[in-house]
Amino acid sequence: MNKVIANKLRTLGQISLLLSPLLAISISLSAGSLELSCNRLIEILLNGVGTEIDTIIVWQIRLPRALLAGLVGAALSLSGVTFQAVLRNPLADPYLLGVSGGAALGAVAAITCGFQSPVIIPLAAFIGALGALLVVYLVAQAHACSSHTLILSGVMVGSLAAALLLFLLWQAPADATRQAIFWLAGNLSLANPDWLGWGWLWFIIAFTLLWSQSLNLDLLTQGEETAADLGLEVGKTRLILFTLAGALTACAVALSGLIGFVGLVIPHICRLLWGPSHRLLLPFSALLGSSFLIIADAIARSLYAPAEIPVGVVTALLGAPFFLFLLRRKGGGI
Amino acid sequence: MIQVNNLAFAFSTTQIFNNLNFKINRGEILSIVGPNGCGKSTLLRLLRGSLKLQSGEILWQSTPVQQIAAAEMARNVAVVPQSSTIYFPYKVRELVAMGRYPHRKNILTFQTKEDLQEIEKALVMTDILALADRQITQLSGGELQRVLLARALVQNSSVLFLDEATNHLDIDHRLELTELLVRLNREQGATIVQISHDLDLAAAISTRILLLDQYGDIVAIGSPEQTMTTANLEKIFRVEMKVGNNPVTGTPQVVPLINASTHNLSNLKVHVICGGGSGRTLMRRLHLAKTQVTAGPLNCGDTDEAVAQVLNIDITQEVPHSSFSPQTISATAELIAQADVLVVANQWWGNGNLPCLDLAEKFLHQGTPVFLLAQETKHDFTNGTAWNKIQQLQVLGAQNIPNGDHLLDELSTYQRQHLTNKI
Repeated sequence: MNKVIANKLRTLGQISLLLSPLLAISISLSAGSLELSCNRLIEILLNGVGTEIDTIIVWQIRLPRALLAGLVGAALSLSGVTFQAVLRNPLADPYLLGVSGGAALGAVAAITCGFQSPVIIPLAAFIGALGALLVVYLVAQAHACSSHTLILSGVMVGSLAAALLLFLLWQAPADATRQAIFWLAGNLSLANPDWLGWGWLWFIIAFTLLWSQSLNLDLLTQGEETAADLGLEVGKTRLILFTLAGALTACAVALSGLIGFVGLVIPHICRLLWGPSHRLLLPFSALLGSSFLIIADAIARSLYAPAEIPVGVVTALLGAPFFLFLLRRKGGGI
Repeated sequence: MIQVNNLAFAFSTTQIFNNLNFKINRGEILSIVGPNGCGKSTLLRLLRGSLKLQSGEILWQSTPVQQIAAAEMARNVAVVPQSSTIYFPYKVRELVAMGRYPHRKNILTFQTKEDLQEIEKALVMTDILALADRQITQLSGGELQRVLLARALVQNSSVLFLDEATNHLDIDHRLELTELLVRLNREQGATIVQISHDLDLAAAISTRILLLDQYGDIVAIGSPEQTMTTANLEKIFRVEMKVGNNPVTGTPQVVPLINASTHNLSNLKVHVICGGGSGRTLMRRLHLAKTQVTAGPLNCGDTDEAVAQVLNIDITQEVPHSSFSPQTISATAELIAQADVLVVANQWWGNGNLPCLDLAEKFLHQGTPVFLLAQETKHDFTNGTAWNKIQQLQVLGAQNIPNGDHLLDELSTYQRQHLTNKI
């Protein structure tokens, strides 16, 4: 009997998770320095794009922003799930393999070189992230991409990038330094609305490919030797997963800078709630990750409106206590 | 079925196999038996193709192992590992389902009806149906082993590799699973290759047994009756054993002769003449029996020297790889003079350490009891000089004791008879 109730609760939880991004988006749309009532919001959404000021704010500012937050949250969570499984390391996050360092170096290099263009900086970050991944991969490839080598070379490439970054910041004029730090803390105000569509397209392709690999991810969590014993081509699979997850992170970082915590904690929360099987874990993490970041962003925007708290602060403040609570209830079976 | 030709393998500096040749027949149960670290698991991994071949060849029905694709290999052979580190809390049924991976048609199929049937069957066969919805992180070692066996069973392969797969099981499940293996073998013709430390069980169910020694060389391969002999087993495990027949089944049964007698030799001073590792076990045992041990002469860097240093045993030293100088010999004589008893370990004799035998003779003349430990002609590399001296020592009253256990017995007898008045 208890089992039946537990199953029903579980189904209920899953359905509400499916709907959560919609809820999160509507919260995000009504939050901000301009207060909007629930009725007015529905009215605006039903009437479509218009010329009134609050309509413009909702359709052209808040909605793209919510969609961006959702995209970044989903991408980071997915990439976190993948890295944790491939590297068999619960501490792995999307930034572990030097992606963050590479992206930051790229962006800051662009900023300190005097580029102010909203096109150049994300592009430089994207190239930096992929460059760092490539170096990590080339080093680890010599040892068939074993997870230890990947982690160690990732950490080293990250340190190298951090050192170069500090050097650049030390050299740069105060103005550029400020801008760079702002970028490093993560920033969801979208530079170019056209990119949102491309970002989502990129995400959907990567998600579909990753999802098709969900059984392979399950096998990899059992260790490379066991996975190979069960018939998985470990080297090839790991390269595919590594590339997909890396590309997702690079995309997220290029669009929004470095937002911590989402990619580390959302996978853990989902695993605690729904188990480690990746067929469910991947879509659930993407959903929860996007809802989480949309809400965190709404809070960051509205708490001290019109000023904004860095969204990374909110993600950590919200996520860490909830995670600790789950950890205490469910124990160390992460 | 599987043919191994001229297989050699080394881990960076350690040579594991020199030249291995044998074959595994279809439908047999082959048990691999050998001491820790002789390369049993490595051999299985090589056979499976998990480790890259360095030299020699392994043929699966005349196809070289490295040419077989991953999924095909997983349909050929299922592996039950020694143990498994579990990080993620999968449910038992999910873990077992992973064994169906090599039978997946394409990336879109998840679980077919056949998959589900196989999974339930394996859960029943390994007696873990009751655990099916538990998380694997919550299982005991024995339960986990049954889950891993179930996962291997659903692979439906014709060959099964087991790496000490029953070592955590209680006797109930060990017998039950062994029976399951035998049934798979007899009724479905499965070929089973297992590593086992349960010699009796291996002897009882195996068609053939492969005995490896500590250097990874084949000591014997053949039926249990041919291979499980006292001589072979003592050779590879270096303990005294008695191989009898199981009164019920008639298969060979191994009884290690454990010397349960305890020794307390705290009043005895013993000097050990050893070298090249011949004295390390003896010094360890004398140390445990609280004997006051001295040793030497020993060359620096000798394994015996290292053991003596760790155990705080007084020794006389000589520079590495040189004959013993008169000074070292006389220093040793001073050590021996303080000892009650002199023991000459079964080292190899060459011109360098011959003076040690002269020392023994000198002290024998002076009335110090001398025990020779397992001296053999084949350890003589001096064209008979050393062996003559050893025989001379025996004529003069030195006893040649076959092994360490007996030596400790002799030493306690000696202590009782001669030294009790000292207490």
